[in-house]
Amino acid sequence: MSMEKTKQIDEILSGLDGVQRASAPEFFYTRLKARMEKGFEPAMVRKRVLYPVYALAAVVLIMFINAAILVTKQNGTGTDTASVNETETLQSIAAEYNINDVSSLYELNEER
Amino acid sequence: MGLREGDESAFRYLVETYRDRVFNTALGIVQNAEDAEDVAQEVFIQVYRSISTFKGESKLSTWLYRIATTRSLDLLRSKKSKKRFGFLQRLFGEGNEPELEIPDFNHPGIQLDRKENAAKLFKAISRLPENQKIAFTLHKLEDLSYQEVSEIMKTSLPAVESLMHRAKQNLRKMLEKEID
Repeated sequence: MSMEKTKQIDEILSGLDGVQRASAPEFFYTRLKARMEKGFEPAMVRKRVLYPVYALAAVVLIMFINAAILVTKQNGTGTDTASVNETETLQSIAAEYNINDVSSLYELNEER
Repeated sequence: MGLREGDESAFRYLVETYRDRVFNTALGIVQNAEDAEDVAQEVFIQVYRSISTFKGESKLSTWLYRIATTRSLDLLRSKKSKKRFGFLQRLFGEGNEPELEIPDFNHPGIQLDRKENAAKLFKAISRLPENQKIAFTLHKLEDLSYQEVSEIMKTSLPAVESLMHRAKQNLRKMLEKEID
């Protein structure tokens, strides 16, 4: 960096040297008293207005995720390995206990 | 004592004594006169409401500076949130007003021949991390010693020295880019 630039930056960094304190506006106390009597809420409280926006944004995000999952399922074969294995397991359990069809359940009930 | 009893003349005396310090501190951080007045009013309202909690372990001025810096940062964060809200509104097709350019800040206490440089410096200060911003503003604008700044920020003297060093480094980097 050139000497000229360094000097320029040093000058800017000294820009607050000798600064005079700013005075509060006229009638500051009068306005303060009026505000206290009216019971104004501080500006920070107005922030609560923004909370519904965040909730709405969260809902929209969840909807997007749901839609993305639905679209993926529809576009895919729907026979991913995990669900196939699960189906086979359930079918084998059903076969073992002879509950492959509803009619066998009714037979069991009749026997009772 | 009069303050704790809610004595108005005591409160008025407090306000008249410290209003410029509080206003100037807020002004240096929020860089807008209207907002600074808002913040300054909130500081004194908070003092009025919570004077009973002031234990006198530190000076009254230390307490006031602390509230002023906290409130100023709260306002800045609140403005940032509103900016994000405006972005969301535009995203959903509402609020199509163009984003306003924040004008350069001119502190009234700066001499005429230094105004341009001071404006550049304040712009860079506005981009500092919060702690560095506070330390730098209190030291430069309120002419407080590092010791006094450490009491206000409830931190150690070496920590303030470090904050100031990093603040100056960051300001230098920002100004280098600005000049380029």
